[in-house]
Amino acid sequence: MALAAFVAGWLTGGGGIDLAWAPTWDLRLAFELDGLAALYGILAAGIGVLVFVYASAYVPRHLAHQGRPRREEARLHAAMVLFLISMLGLTTAQDLILLFVFWDLTAVASWLLIGFDRHDREARLSALMALMVTAVSAVLMLVGILMLRVEYATTQLPELFAVARQSTTVTVAVALIVVAALAKSAQVPFHFWLPRAMAAPTPVSAYLHSAAMVAAGVFLLSRIHPLIALDGALLDALVVVGFASMAVGGVLALAADGLKRLLAYSTISQYGYVVTMLGVGGTAGAAAACFYVLAHALAKSALFMTAGAVTEATGATALSGLGGLGRRMPLLAAASGAAVAAIAALPLTIGFFKDELFFKAALEHGSLTAALAVAGAALTFAYMARFWSGIFLGSPRDAPQPIERRLVWPVALLALAAVGGGIVVAPFAALAQDAAAVTSGAAVKLEAAYHLDARSENLMALAAYALGAFVLVVRGVLSKPLAIVEWVGTHFGPERAYSASLRGLNRLSNQLHDIEVRDLRTRVAAVIVPGAALVAVGVVLTPTEGAYRVGQIVAADTPLVAALAVCALAAVAVTAPRNHLALALMLSAVGFALATAYSLLGAPDVALVAVLIETIFALLFVGVFALLPADVLRREARLRPHRSRQVRDAGIAIVSGVVTTLVVWAAFSRPVPSAGMAERHLTLAEDAHGKDVVTVILADFRGLDTLVEITVVGVAMIGVTALLASRRRV
Amino acid sequence: MTSVLTQLVARSLLAPALVVAAGILVKGYSDVGDGFAAAIVAALGILLQFLAFGRAQVAAVLPIRRAPLVALCGLGLAVTVFAVPLAVGAAPLEHWPPAAQSPVHVGSLELITAVAFDVGVFLLVLGSAVAIIDALAATAEDEA
Amino acid sequence: MNLAFAVVVGALFGSGVYLLLKPDLFRVVAGLVLVSNAANLTLMASGLTRGQAPVQPTQPGAAVADPLVQAMTLTALVIGFAVTALLLGLSVGVYRARHSVDLDEISRQQAADAVLREGREAPHDEEHELREAHEEAIAYDEATR
Repeated sequence: MALAAFVAGWLTGGGGIDLAWAPTWDLRLAFELDGLAALYGILAAGIGVLVFVYASAYVPRHLAHQGRPRREEARLHAAMVLFLISMLGLTTAQDLILLFVFWDLTAVASWLLIGFDRHDREARLSALMALMVTAVSAVLMLVGILMLRVEYATTQLPELFAVARQSTTVTVAVALIVVAALAKSAQVPFHFWLPRAMAAPTPVSAYLHSAAMVAAGVFLLSRIHPLIALDGALLDALVVVGFASMAVGGVLALAADGLKRLLAYSTISQYGYVVTMLGVGGTAGAAAACFYVLAHALAKSALFMTAGAVTEATGATALSGLGGLGRRMPLLAAASGAAVAAIAALPLTIGFFKDELFFKAALEHGSLTAALAVAGAALTFAYMARFWSGIFLGSPRDAPQPIERRLVWPVALLALAAVGGGIVVAPFAALAQDAAAVTSGAAVKLEAAYHLDARSENLMALAAYALGAFVLVVRGVLSKPLAIVEWVGTHFGPERAYSASLRGLNRLSNQLHDIEVRDLRTRVAAVIVPGAALVAVGVVLTPTEGAYRVGQIVAADTPLVAALAVCALAAVAVTAPRNHLALALMLSAVGFALATAYSLLGAPDVALVAVLIETIFALLFVGVFALLPADVLRREARLRPHRSRQVRDAGIAIVSGVVTTLVVWAAFSRPVPSAGMAERHLTLAEDAHGKDVVTVILADFRGLDTLVEITVVGVAMIGVTALLASRRRV
Repeated sequence: MTSVLTQLVARSLLAPALVVAAGILVKGYSDVGDGFAAAIVAALGILLQFLAFGRAQVAAVLPIRRAPLVALCGLGLAVTVFAVPLAVGAAPLEHWPPAAQSPVHVGSLELITAVAFDVGVFLLVLGSAVAIIDALAATAEDEA
Repeated sequence: MNLAFAVVVGALFGSGVYLLLKPDLFRVVAGLVLVSNAANLTLMASGLTRGQAPVQPTQPGAAVADPLVQAMTLTALVIGFAVTALLLGLSVGVYRARHSVDLDEISRQQAADAVLREGREAPHDEEHELREAHEEAIAYDEATR
């Protein structure tokens, strides 16, 4: 349904929704279905449909293998739907804050999906890793967004594109967002989470790690490309990161043995292409990037589904346990062969054009880029050929078990699309062209066609095939070094930094916890004493002339002063008694004296509530004291603290009391002219149909505060009841 | 504490306490007091019952076990009043009727959405206070 | 009047701090009540105007007290109430777990517990889990190779 809506929306030229969300913060729910949203939305929804079909056959088998009940399938479906919705929201959002919300939603949904096998610790840890890497980097993104907002007072993308100019702030802000995008797309040095995420069930990998989750990173780069393009250094950085990911992903894909691991490394390297092209920029780069995402997503999800089907049929999860399946599963072999050909960029598939456009953009950028591009394409050719031949060629092993057709025909459909795109490229090119126009902010003419001549793109493609074949041949010799490279990468690469930082944080929190729990009072003193000292320095340094005014005391104030005096005396007296009951009574004496003062200050509402609260406090304190055995309290009352400690406490108390007095006095001594404020509130309250201004403020003008306040009360209630109830059960 | 006299006093004070609470609540907009004060008055009345009769007997007369539910309803009501204007395109917590219109009267009572918000506050605070008192009373019984 | 308010706030705050530093949990709670009282009084006293209650009908000509600080103080009072109830509940919980309301005694108990625990079992943390998971993954890879 969503797919139909997106296709229809794209064909009719798109449309937008713009709702006020929180108008006072200028946040709007702005969605627009432009070319870029159409491309990623159609991919997410279209591949989503096929993945759902595939999952309906795969997941029951998966659950049966592990002896889990069928109903757990619903959990997976719910998470996938959540993911799809947040992905569609992400692609259409026109406001950076909104984009961030959907961004985090996709991270949460993917956490649920990767950790679907929750009994499996590996799956849980992998899900946590994916969440940490993408969500922590998302915080950087939020910082970047807020920096942009501070600079330009808007988070609406169209407005930002119109007003943003190159400056250091903008570059830093955009760089932070770019880091988040690269982490999501599993680019070097954040690539380590993706192979680990292969612990997810295969349909999840087919979806998240081909068309959706990983694509979200490059989507964001495309979405904010006009901002990135403001600074050439950022573009160059993208090219470097892209090539690094291509190299790392490609080499590791050559080395990997596990089917899904190989595909994961290949995804890293394939999105490296896209990042490179976004870094190359311009209309050529944008067109190449958008077309590449489209072609790759189709083929890569087909390959993930192939891996799942093969594993279901044979039980093997790695290349070394497979071979010769071509004759036993001809349809699957043909379909995945087409998908492999598409990624390896063979002619007659949609993939040929993706590399044609890629080479074209690289050539425009420079000869070094072009050379590296050929090397990357050769690596792709090599590991893709290895993947397919490892499964389907060679000597046959044990006969595979029959599997449902629903595990095969989604692959066949995607393969059909990949081959169809190689013959009739126009609809795909149109989709990518519209998306590229949004990315580059200019009209794009995307030309994809076969040219049977010796132009440089064709020569580069031929060179890539030849080089790839050569790599494949020498791989046998290189297998040992490659295995070492992979081992070193996982043990000393960024993954190690990740676990080291987790470990460090854990240790820090443990230490803080120990200190905090072991000695509360030292901590309290450690906060209060330096705080008071700092404030005291501030008081001393500020000019004192006119800062302190005693203020008049007129005859009418006598009762007020008397009430305040009682309050102060009672406050000092609270510190004296050893007996707990006396303590509670003194405390309520303070409260009632304050309530009297409030009523004399013309605040009957506050006074009423203060009296009521003091009454409840008195009863609560006495009730709690009655609860505890008398000897516990008596022992506490008889305990005499050490003399030096008592002196220290009294010293701290006196210093903080005096400093507070000075600061509060200084604050009170700076009156602001405000005649008529209270009267204005009175008229406003009349508009709100109220006579008691204080109540009107609470329920109307500042109602949000009240809502938060009663939430606090509710939370406290839950806290008390849970605390006392849980102990009772023990 | 459970002498006949205290029981008599406590019982005869419950109804007035609740009536006063209701009065404070509905007149909150035009006179001193608001939902919070009303809730504390009512909670004090109920606390008195706990002291005079003990937890089991109060539970037999008053639905105190439902206190958390009452609190939740209160929060729900307040959030509803907060959020409904969003649905009709106004700012959150925009009250009805607007300034120019005069509200519907029932006797001397004025029906405005702000009062509904205050009722939400009342229910939440009352439910919370009673739940806390109940938890403490239950603990006391365990210890005894 | 400024000085009078300031002195009372200072007295409330100072007494509160003194009680916060005591080992008795209930004195700590009482100290927090005093500190929040100090904050409430500061809020009330910082009203821009003083005078009659801001409830209609007001007497014409006379000054009206600032209603905004009153509303804020009310909010603060209510939150203080909730927090104090929570703290009292916590103190009771601590008593049930440790049969003491004395912080010095509780920390002595905890230190003794920690010594016992460390003697009995090896530390178990995320680091350990990660390392084990890693080794498992490598073993799995090698087994399937």
